[in-house]
Amino acid sequence: MAENINLTVPQESSPNASAENKGKKYLRWDLAKRIEHWIFMLSFTALGLTGLVQKYAEAPLSISIVAGLGGIENTRTIHHWAATIMMLVTIYHLGAVAYRMYVRRVRLTMLPTMEDIRAAIQSMGYNLGLLKHSAQQGRYTFEEKLEYWAVVWGTIVMAVTGYMMWNPIATARFLPGEFIPAAKAAHGGEALLAVLSIALWHLYHVIVKHFNRSMFTGYLSEEEMLHEHPLELADIKAGIANRPIDPEAYKRRMRIFVPSYSVIAVALLVGVYFFVNYEETAITTVPPAEQVVVFAPLTPTPLPSPVPTRTSPPGGLASWQGGIGDLLNQRCGICHNSTGKLGGLDLTSYQAALETGSSGPAVIPGDPDNSPLIVKQAQGGHPEQLSEELLDQLRDWIANGAPES
Amino acid sequence: MSIKKFLSTSLALTGLLLAFVLLFGLPKLAGRAEAPAAPAVAPQNVGVDNETCLACHGLPDQQITLPSGEILYLTVDREIYNNSVHGKNGYACVQCHTTLTSYPHPPLAAYTRRDATLNLYQSCGRCHYQHYDRALDSVHQKALATGNRQAAVCTDCHGAHNVRPPNEPRSHIPQTCQLCHSEIYKRYEESVHGSALLGEGNPDVPSCIDCHGVHDVEGPSDSQFHLFSPQICAKCHANDELMAKYGISTDVFETYVADFHGTTVVLFEKTTPDQETNKPVCIDCHGVHDMREVDDPESTVIKENLLQTCQKCHPDATLHFPEAWIAHYQPAPDNHPVVYYVNLFYSIFIPTLLGGMGLFVVTDAGRRLYSRLKERQHG
Repeated sequence: MAENINLTVPQESSPNASAENKGKKYLRWDLAKRIEHWIFMLSFTALGLTGLVQKYAEAPLSISIVAGLGGIENTRTIHHWAATIMMLVTIYHLGAVAYRMYVRRVRLTMLPTMEDIRAAIQSMGYNLGLLKHSAQQGRYTFEEKLEYWAVVWGTIVMAVTGYMMWNPIATARFLPGEFIPAAKAAHGGEALLAVLSIALWHLYHVIVKHFNRSMFTGYLSEEEMLHEHPLELADIKAGIANRPIDPEAYKRRMRIFVPSYSVIAVALLVGVYFFVNYEETAITTVPPAEQVVVFAPLTPTPLPSPVPTRTSPPGGLASWQGGIGDLLNQRCGICHNSTGKLGGLDLTSYQAALETGSSGPAVIPGDPDNSPLIVKQAQGGHPEQLSEELLDQLRDWIANGAPES
Repeated sequence: MSIKKFLSTSLALTGLLLAFVLLFGLPKLAGRAEAPAAPAVAPQNVGVDNETCLACHGLPDQQITLPSGEILYLTVDREIYNNSVHGKNGYACVQCHTTLTSYPHPPLAAYTRRDATLNLYQSCGRCHYQHYDRALDSVHQKALATGNRQAAVCTDCHGAHNVRPPNEPRSHIPQTCQLCHSEIYKRYEESVHGSALLGEGNPDVPSCIDCHGVHDVEGPSDSQFHLFSPQICAKCHANDELMAKYGISTDVFETYVADFHGTTVVLFEKTTPDQETNKPVCIDCHGVHDMREVDDPESTVIKENLLQTCQKCHPDATLHFPEAWIAHYQPAPDNHPVVYYVNLFYSIFIPTLLGGMGLFVVTDAGRRLYSRLKERQHG
């Protein structure tokens, strides 16, 4: 390889050579590869965004993003859809690689070799000013190979750990339960690594260092090829970059490839279907945390039993001592007693009943209709209101001359 | 300013505003236990002294029969009233019974005993309007408003003529709630908190009101209460000083939030607090009123019972599923070692790989810049 460098570089970088080939373009990414890249890129971005906000759930930025996405359940749904799309792209990629390897028999330019380690060391030496020339690399530079194989590794880790988190009950049937939080730890760690290395490594190489349009247009210019992939350019010029295929061999290989890949792809698709739909991990509504009768009053302290109300003896109340006195004492004596004398009235003794009262003596023997006791009670609404029956008996007693005994 | 620019600026501002509202505007749990507030204002004493009232109402067996047939007792025990907070401070009967300042009294507008209570408790608001106002927001008041006449009002908890400081002793608080919530009290009594308060008079454990609030008691079946409840637990369980007394780890809240369940609940709290999540909070695993000590054989979270607890939400869970929960501990070599070593691996792998990449990128960029400057000099 070292010889190659000395041979190719001076030739290709001579002003004449570039003038001749000015405007010449080299196909780097055909349309299928570009579509594949952009779908993968979109699902990767969606996964990184919706995943890292969960890893750093308490960060204010995460909270704003989750809110913007319509809440955590929506965020997870987006994450799951993006994961499914990434798995489908991966299944496609496996087929495309198998096709190129088996049917087209292309050179395996993405495989890492010792050459890549040498290229890395040389580039580093050049960057540090220790060497005069940087490494001359082929179709895939060591930077690109590192990127590609990191994505391969990352996709495997994320798919396996993602499966375990998506289907924790199924996982715990075969593995210790501890693997589930471990899967979560690995999923988060790998996610951080993937996002940061894309941001640092990939974006530096395709945007910052030199804006590489080939993922949009498909093509690199002669000059770009010369700078980035001089060995591939040399191979193209020498006509050995793409080997022609014998049409017979192509047909024969396709007869094997198409059915084999179809079976594998269907198996993988079924796998993805189960990955996504296999397990109903949790019920959708948490049962009430407690089943208990909320209102269960203690039996209240028994209230005192009511004082029996005096009822009139058969034949009515004949005299003060024959019941009238007790009735008035009990029903009226609370207020109209010898000490309180509300309304100047005392109804606790026979004498007082005949003598006291601010509207004149309460009881006028023989004249119930003018006795204030009857007048007040007959109006109704007195705080202690006697029944009509008792009032009639009082009337009779007064009409009879209000006898004491 | 072009329309496009205006639109994008206002969009950005709306976004900022939204973020601001989400960060600071969401309901925060207010401190629950209230400081006892002396009444801000006492109503005028209209000059009817208590002895005037007690002349009648101090006599035994004072009663009237209500239209419902129930008997309303009208005797007031002088001794009990004088020992109450109001009696000790010389408040007059008529400061609450404001309509009874003359005799004869106006007719009582009560069909039942409960009517009389529901009319009279409103007097409390005359002095204690701050607490009264809070109580208007309570689950009890809401129940009352929807026609549940058994819902508690001031006097149901505090008493009427016998009002005492409600937390002396503190065990009096659950015993008050017990009057209506006796089934819940039975569970609380057996719990690690309840047995400590009722048995030992422990001042650190929560009584009912420390979690539910005092006057503005929230309805715990509201989804927001469920969602925000971990913060109630965290008030004590994230308090280093308090937990140190009992040798309890204060990592419980942080480890909960770090886990799938807790992360989800926190994000729900902060982004969609009006929605209900199916992820558990503390009480869903530990029990609500009957949470036990972690070595109590009846605890829902000890190893022997954990699978059953998981199965409440994960009905298909099998034997090893509960091990997926790392039990409020930080992973360590002797506790969930796989998790520990995975974390360790990434804590070394990420900086190493990114450091290497960074070194290459920086030197590459530096060399390019150097070459360009040199070219310019020569050119």
